[in-house]
Amino acid sequence: MMLTDLGYCYAEEMNQIALDIRGLAKQFGPKVAVDNVSLEVPTGSFYGLVGPNGAGKTTMLSMATGLLRPDAGQALVNGLDIWAQPQAAKSTLGVLADGVRQFDRLTGRQLVTYSGLLRGMERAEVTERTEDLLRVMDLSNDGDKLVVDYSAGMTKKISLATAMIHSPKLLVLDEPFEAVDPVSAANIRDILNDYVAYGGTVIVSSHVMDLVQRMCTHVAVIAGGVLKAQGSVDEVRGDMSLEDRFVDLVGGRGNNEGLSWLRTSSN
Amino acid sequence: MVAHILKLKLRLLGNGFKRSTGQLIGVIIGGVYALGMIVMLTLAAFYSAGQTQNAAELSIVLASVVVLGWAIVPPLLTGVDLTLEPSRFVHFGISQKILAPALVLSGFISLPAILTIIGLLGGTLLWRFEAGPMVAAVLAALVTAAMAVLVCQYLTIVSTALRAKRRFRELTFALLFLVLICLGPIISSVAGAAQSMTDWLSPLSNVLSYTPFGAAAALPGALSESNFAKFAICLLLAVIYLGGLYFLVARATAEATVTPPPEQRAAKQSGLGFFKFVPATPTGAVTARALTYWFKDPRYAIGVLMVPVLPLIFWFTGNQSGDYTMMYLIGPLIGILLGFSISADISYDNTAFALHVLTGVQGRADRAGRAFACFALSIIPVLLAAILPGAIAGETWRIAGDLGISLAALLIALGVSSLASARYIYAVPLPGDNPMKTPPGNGMRVALTQLGTIGSMAILLLPVLIPYLMGWFQKSQALGLVALAVGLVEGIGLLILGIILGGKWYEKRAPELMQAVMVNK
Repeated sequence: MMLTDLGYCYAEEMNQIALDIRGLAKQFGPKVAVDNVSLEVPTGSFYGLVGPNGAGKTTMLSMATGLLRPDAGQALVNGLDIWAQPQAAKSTLGVLADGVRQFDRLTGRQLVTYSGLLRGMERAEVTERTEDLLRVMDLSNDGDKLVVDYSAGMTKKISLATAMIHSPKLLVLDEPFEAVDPVSAANIRDILNDYVAYGGTVIVSSHVMDLVQRMCTHVAVIAGGVLKAQGSVDEVRGDMSLEDRFVDLVGGRGNNEGLSWLRTSSN
Repeated sequence: MVAHILKLKLRLLGNGFKRSTGQLIGVIIGGVYALGMIVMLTLAAFYSAGQTQNAAELSIVLASVVVLGWAIVPPLLTGVDLTLEPSRFVHFGISQKILAPALVLSGFISLPAILTIIGLLGGTLLWRFEAGPMVAAVLAALVTAAMAVLVCQYLTIVSTALRAKRRFRELTFALLFLVLICLGPIISSVAGAAQSMTDWLSPLSNVLSYTPFGAAAALPGALSESNFAKFAICLLLAVIYLGGLYFLVARATAEATVTPPPEQRAAKQSGLGFFKFVPATPTGAVTARALTYWFKDPRYAIGVLMVPVLPLIFWFTGNQSGDYTMMYLIGPLIGILLGFSISADISYDNTAFALHVLTGVQGRADRAGRAFACFALSIIPVLLAAILPGAIAGETWRIAGDLGISLAALLIALGVSSLASARYIYAVPLPGDNPMKTPPGNGMRVALTQLGTIGSMAILLLPVLIPYLMGWFQKSQALGLVALAVGLVEGIGLLILGIILGGKWYEKRAPELMQAVMVNK
């Protein structure tokens, strides 16, 4: 009786919170990169993670996706602790990491195939999905080129494809729109919106407040390794724009004296 | 302005030492070594002054070697300190008249340049008994040093455009590496053929004295022999060469500051390549990826190049001594070298390794895939290297033993490497970098790791080595077969053990490995 109750609770939790971050902390030498951050990303949400440069976004996402061992805390991916049951947790998780290389001596097609086969998928399924992904990423014509010869935006897109091939329940994307052209960015947004509409969960980190405000249902603001706010976009921003609210929360806006000598008319 | 740029270069030189103590220690050790060489050279010059008939020739050859070395090694192999590359000044509107001399002068502010000047000056002591030639020699040393630095700068600027093309870069490294390795045997054969040193010293230095390499260095000799016609010609040539080279460098600098970096054509490969032929499992995928890298990544190509080069060197050596016993060592040596080459596999992946961590691929699959790829590539060369020497020598009784020791060497090396690379990361050239470049931070730890890895391979090879050597001495095929049986059983056993244990270590430490490759240390 007790066991079935527990199982029920467990299943319900799995359904509601796609990524449950509990007190994650990381310190590099004297510098505290992430300070005891807890965050709940509801299933089916499009979650934006915003913060200034060096706020600890990448460090936190690395700890939540199994790339960086935390000093303290837990990260539960669809109810599974990524540090206790890494393989099970990672099978439902797709990650676009920021600042890592790809196996760039492979062609785009080979790289996506590799990502599928590494996860133990069937070959037929891998082949079919690879072609689909290349098509929606607008890379069909470049599938035979080596990734090392791709532009920054194309590399971003092929990396996104490697993160999606196993149809994960949760996508964690660190700076997915950086260096991506507007048309591709719009296409990627459509794919992600579709994915969320059918029950998937997306977390994106970004600098572009406007984008986050339009695209995301939820948002968390992180600065100096500390969580400043979290909730639905409307809750967080109140009656301001997200950008104003962000500057408000993070602070550090300079006074407006600026550089008088930069005014060309003064010459 | 010139002073500003020179100061910048000095500051860069100083800051370079501050980066890490390990690097500083490396620089000091290297510097002491170089200084030792210079002191030896200077002493040799000091004491052979007035003793040797070949002072003139030796000066010319020495200077030529220095200039040639500067022309080849930095631009093509080690890469030059490009912090003051002309194209970096594109965004500053600095006049060419200032920038060119500043950059040329800044080329002299580097440890190798300073050491070169000191070394060349030390060499001038060869003329210390004759006042006139001594003055000429000091002058010649300075001109030679200037020539060396200018040649290096010119070739660097010219080759930058070419070096930007990936294919070119990879091809030259491979070719140069091959030439460099074969150089020793070739030179020693040629030199051995010549009757005595003077046979080639005299005509060689005569020719060199009219080239940019030795024109300046020919001056003291000509003066000493009172050969004023030659002195005048060489002086004129030296001035023309130096002036011409300066003009070329200045022009190339000017061009480089207004030329955008070149575009390159993308390489293509249709289809899935090796991915088509491997089983659709994680192990198969890793095998296919590793195989692709063995062919596409020049850092691996260097390891593969050893395979044809090693027999070549041993054959040359055997050719000279008349004793070809060394040829029987090729099999086990190739086995160990190729097997050892995967011990840096994760280091070579660099942060691309993130894909393995993120997909949560089983440690066993990662280890096995890499080992299988290396095995698939190595097995045929190792078999050939084991069978051919015995077969060619007509000593068929020894083939079984040779096979045993060679296969055991390959399998054991693969097993040990599978274990070691799951634990130790070391600094390697980054993907796409010059594969010959040794990155900073390569200190004692790396040397110890490699020593430990190779040492444990050697110890593990003992059970095979004993019957093998006994078979060799007794010319016994039966003992050779024992070596083959022991080698196969032990080799396969250790490979499996290495994969399983390495896989466990890998799974426990994957995030730590990831952090280690991020700093590439």
